[in-house]
Amino acid sequence: MLLEQYLPVLALIFLALGLGVALTLVSILLGPKKITPAKKKPFESGMPSDGAQYRRYSVRFYMVALTFLIFDVEIVFFYPWAVKFRELGFYGLGVMSVFFVILTLGLVYDWKKGALEWE
Amino acid sequence: MLISFYILAALAVGGALSVVLFRSPVYCALSLVATFLCLAGIYVLLNSEFVAAIQVLIYAGAIMVLFLFVIMLLNLRSDKPLRHSWTWPKLLGIGFAVAIIFQLIGIFHSPAARMGPAGKYSTEYLQQKGAVEVVGEVLFTEYVLPFEIISILLMVAVVGAVILAKRREPASTEQTP
Amino acid sequence: MIPVSHVLTLSAILFGIGVAGVILRRNAIVVFMCIELMLNAVNLGFVAFASGMQSMVGVMFVFFVLIVAAAEAVVGLSIILAIFRNSGTLNIEEFNLLRW
Repeated sequence: MLLEQYLPVLALIFLALGLGVALTLVSILLGPKKITPAKKKPFESGMPSDGAQYRRYSVRFYMVALTFLIFDVEIVFFYPWAVKFRELGFYGLGVMSVFFVILTLGLVYDWKKGALEWE
Repeated sequence: MLISFYILAALAVGGALSVVLFRSPVYCALSLVATFLCLAGIYVLLNSEFVAAIQVLIYAGAIMVLFLFVIMLLNLRSDKPLRHSWTWPKLLGIGFAVAIIFQLIGIFHSPAARMGPAGKYSTEYLQQKGAVEVVGEVLFTEYVLPFEIISILLMVAVVGAVILAKRREPASTEQTP
Repeated sequence: MIPVSHVLTLSAILFGIGVAGVILRRNAIVVFMCIELMLNAVNLGFVAFASGMQSMVGVMFVFFVLIVAAAEAVVGLSIILAIFRNSGTLNIEEFNLLRW
């Protein structure tokens, strides 16, 4: 059947899971356990740790992620087009151009509004 | 094949339950990613490889990254625990959800929901032509107009999100006419 | 072959869990995640029907649902950000200005 193609993926998943579990187990079983107060602190480049675990991020990261999501969705529609490119010919090129131009208008708006500026 | 479906289904239901039950929004988001990946596996079992690929690409990849960014951006604290307060509105809500599940299952198994005649896109056809190619064939011939309208929807989403999320500095708003 | 009714049952269960999350949770972002879960349950139903009926209509609908989900995530999360900026909370019980 079709599913035999996916056996390597299954093997990879089990290999990754097994490796992770095995390495953690080995480190728990064999590693020395001498807990001092300094070791219990979270590691932060050797400096004394500072601040909360979750820190607030700037909204600029969100603007970039948002633009990424929209154009990621756009890219998904390029795959079937690229596969059928020869059969569709100029018709497909025209259809895709309209799609692309309309989405580029959104990008131009982003750009003009300064949503892509890092300041 | 059926066994792998049941394993994936159990994992998906477990992930969905932990989305509802975990207190920290970060844990909720990560269990939702696990649910999405299990659903992608089920799509592969149902012969829809391309849907599985975009499920991983868009849902598990992009949308959940956006969710995690917002959680980090807002620096959310964990909710109060769900299970310590069994007030009657909560019980009513759970009862409502269970009623919806049984109603849907009843609808799906009723004689009114029987399948129509089988189309031409059988497993052999899909395997012979390739999943992505068949999708391209249908998308660019039969569904061209919805496809173009999608681009307008996405453009409106970009514009609306920029308007809503961009911080308004007093100087920049006065400059734009 | 996987029986279509089993997949549809899974879809119904996931949808119901999403409904329960929307009703029970108080955090706006988690409520939003449960809405995404419900959209995914619907997608699963579409794919099950497409595979059972050997048709491509279900797969096409999955695409359109997915695009709507992406647009909804972008705009909805921006609305959540704007609400948080104005009120400083995400507890949906405190958004009661329009309550009758």
